[in-house]
Amino acid sequence: MSSPYLHINGIRKTFGEVVATDHVELEIAEGEFMTFLGPSGSGKSTTLYILAGFQDPTAGDIRLRGRSILQTPSHKRNIGMVFQRYTLFPHLSVGENVAFPLRVRRAPQAEIAAKVRRALSLVRLDGFEDRMPAHMSGGQQQRVALARALVYDPPVLLMDEPLSALDKKLREEIQHEIRRIHQQTGVTILYVTHDQEEALRLSDRIAVFNTGKIEQVGTGPELYASPATHFVADFIGNSAFLAGDLVAIGAGRASLRFADGTVLADIPMHGTGLAGGKAELMLRPERIELTAQPGLSGASLPVTVEDVTFLGNSSTVSARTGWGEVLSVRMNFGHPMMGQVRQGDALHVRWQPQHAHVFAKA
Amino acid sequence: MLLDFDKLGAWKWILSAVCALMALFLLLPILFIVALSFGDSRWLIFPPQNWTLKWYGELFADPRWLAAAWTSARIALIVMVLSVVLGLLASLALTRGTFRGRAVLRAFFLTPMVLPVVIIAVALYAAFLRLGLNGTLAGFVIAHLIVALPFSIITISGALETFDPSIEDAAILCGASPWEARFRVTLPAISHGLFSAAIFSFLISWDEVVLAIFMASPTLQTLPVKVWTTLRQDLTPVIAAASTLLVALTILLMIVAALIRKGKSR
Ligand SMILES: Nc1ncnc2c1ncn2[C@@H]1O[C@H](COP(=O)(O)OP(=O)(O)OP(=O)(O)O)[C@@H](O)[C@H]1O
Ligand SMILES: [Mg+2]
Repeated sequence: MSSPYLHINGIRKTFGEVVATDHVELEIAEGEFMTFLGPSGSGKSTTLYILAGFQDPTAGDIRLRGRSILQTPSHKRNIGMVFQRYTLFPHLSVGENVAFPLRVRRAPQAEIAAKVRRALSLVRLDGFEDRMPAHMSGGQQQRVALARALVYDPPVLLMDEPLSALDKKLREEIQHEIRRIHQQTGVTILYVTHDQEEALRLSDRIAVFNTGKIEQVGTGPELYASPATHFVADFIGNSAFLAGDLVAIGAGRASLRFADGTVLADIPMHGTGLAGGKAELMLRPERIELTAQPGLSGASLPVTVEDVTFLGNSSTVSARTGWGEVLSVRMNFGHPMMGQVRQGDALHVRWQPQHAHVFAKA
Repeated sequence: MLLDFDKLGAWKWILSAVCALMALFLLLPILFIVALSFGDSRWLIFPPQNWTLKWYGELFADPRWLAAAWTSARIALIVMVLSVVLGLLASLALTRGTFRGRAVLRAFFLTPMVLPVVIIAVALYAAFLRLGLNGTLAGFVIAHLIVALPFSIITISGALETFDPSIEDAAILCGASPWEARFRVTLPAISHGLFSAAIFSFLISWDEVVLAIFMASPTLQTLPVKVWTTLRQDLTPVIAAASTLLVALTILLMIVAALIRKGKSR
C-alpha cells in the first residue's frame, strides 16, 4: 500500500497539565478538502499549528508524501496558511503582499508579476494591486490573504477559522469562493471551523474534534446518517436526546425503558452497553413528525404539546413526553397539521424505525 | 456629549480667554528670546528699538559656540541611535517575552522618568569619577541615554502592542526566516514608533542641561551648557541667538513627529 499524501500520525501535545491534542490520527488524500470541526478548545488550532511548525508536538509525527516534516523549520515547509485574524502586511500594497512569498524566494521579476496577477484573479480581486490593506473590507483582506497563501503553490493550505470575523452573508459568499478555488486549483486544504454548516458546505470529509481527540472522520452525509458517538450526533444536526435504561441488547440493537415505564424495542445501537446501563435515544427534529395516531411499535411516543413557534418556512413544536422531557419537532410549511396544533393537545411523535439511534452511556 | 462647548453660553468666552492666556504664558518666553536675538541692543533691552542679524553673525564667527553645537549634535545623534536600538530590543522582550517578572522589569525601565534628574546626575558624577568618564563624549551619551530610554521604550512598546504577532507568523509561513520576517515586516510596520522614539530621544539629549552641566568639562560642553556658562559671565544677545536656534530645531523636530503621528492615524 502506498503511503498517504499527508499523515497526521498520533499527534499529542500537552501544555503543562493541559492536554491540547491526544493521539490525533488522520490520513488526508492529495487534493482533499478536510475540515476539523469541534467546539472551542478541542485542539483544532493546535493540530494546525503543529503542521505549520509554530509548535512542536509532545509525541507523534507529521508525514507529507511519506517524509516527516517535523525537523523542517516553518519557513522552509512551503505550507500556505490563512489565519483567523487579518494578517496582511500593513505597510505593503495588496500586490506586494501577494508578491512577498515570491520575493523571499528570489523569483525573477517577470514571474512574480505574472503569478501575482494570476493569484489576485483567482480570488476575483483583479486590479487591486495598488490598494493598501487598511483600505479594504475584512472579506477582501481575507481573499488577499488566500491569494498570498496560494501564490507559491503550497502542497497543503491551512485555514484556521478564516471567516469567523465576517458577517453571515459575506461568510456564505466567501465559502462559495473557497469551494470554487479548491476545485480550480486542486490544492489540499485543512480547514478549521466550529460552524457545522460551514463544514458541511465546504468539505470532502470532516474530522470531528472533542477534547483533543478525533471522535469520527467521514463525509457530511456519513456523519449525519450514522454518528459514531453521542458527541457527533449532538454536534452535527441539532438532535434531541431522551435518557433511559437499557433493558435488552442484541445484534447492534437495543430496547430502552424510560422513566415512566414506556419501553421502545429494537432500535439501532452505537457503542457498547450492558443491560441495566444508562443510554440515550437520539431523534433528529426533521426526522420525526407529530400525528394523531401512534406509529409502529418502537417508533413512536405519546406526547403533550407545550408550545408552538412559527418560524416562517417552518414551525417548531415543543412536545413533552410522559415522563417530562421536552422534544423539538419541526413542521415544514404546508404540513397538513400546521396551524391546527394547539398547546395542550395530546398527540404522538412518530419516526421511521431506522432514524432513531441508541447511544450507550459510558 | 456632556459638556458641549457650543451650549456653554458665557462660559464659552471665559474658557476661550483662559486657553488664550495659557498659550501666551507658554509662548511668551520663546517670543521674548526670539525678539531679543534680533534686537540691536547689547543690553537685552525689551522691546528692541531696531532689528539686526549681527548677534547671529557673532555666534557663527565664534568657534567655541560652533564646537558646542557640534558636540551637542554628535551626542544627540549617538543617543538617538542607541536609544532606538536598545529601546527596540527591550520592547521586544517586554511585549513578546513570556518570562516572569516582566511587569517589574517594565516599571524598572521607566524609573528614570520619575527620578529627579539631579539625583541621577550626582550619582553618575560620582560613578564616572572612578571610571574617568566625566568630560568625555561617552559620559554624556550614557547620561542622556538613561533619560531618553524610558521614552523610547514607551513609544516602541506601544507600537509593538498594536502589531499582531500573527502577522509575523504569516510572513514566516510565506517563507521568510524569523529574522527576515522581523526586518521586512515587523520593523516597517512599527516604523512610526521607531521614528517617534528617534526624534524624542534626539530632543531629550539636545535640550538636556542638568546632566550635561555635571558631565561637562571646559573643553567639552553642549550647547545648553554653553548658554548657561556664557549667561553667568556676561549677558550678550548672542545667547538669545543661540537659544533661538535651539528652539527652532526643537520645534522643527516636534512638527516632524506630529506629522508622523498624523500619517499613521490616517
Ligand atoms: N500556548 C498554550 N498554552 C497553554 N495552553 C494552550 C496553549 N494553546 C492552546 N492551549 C490549550 O489547548 C487546548 C486546545 O486549544 P486549541 O487552540 O487547539 O483549541 P481550538 O480547537 O482551536 O479552539 P477554538 O475554536 O477556541 O480556536 C485548549 O484547552 C487551550 O486552552
Ligand atoms: Mg482555534
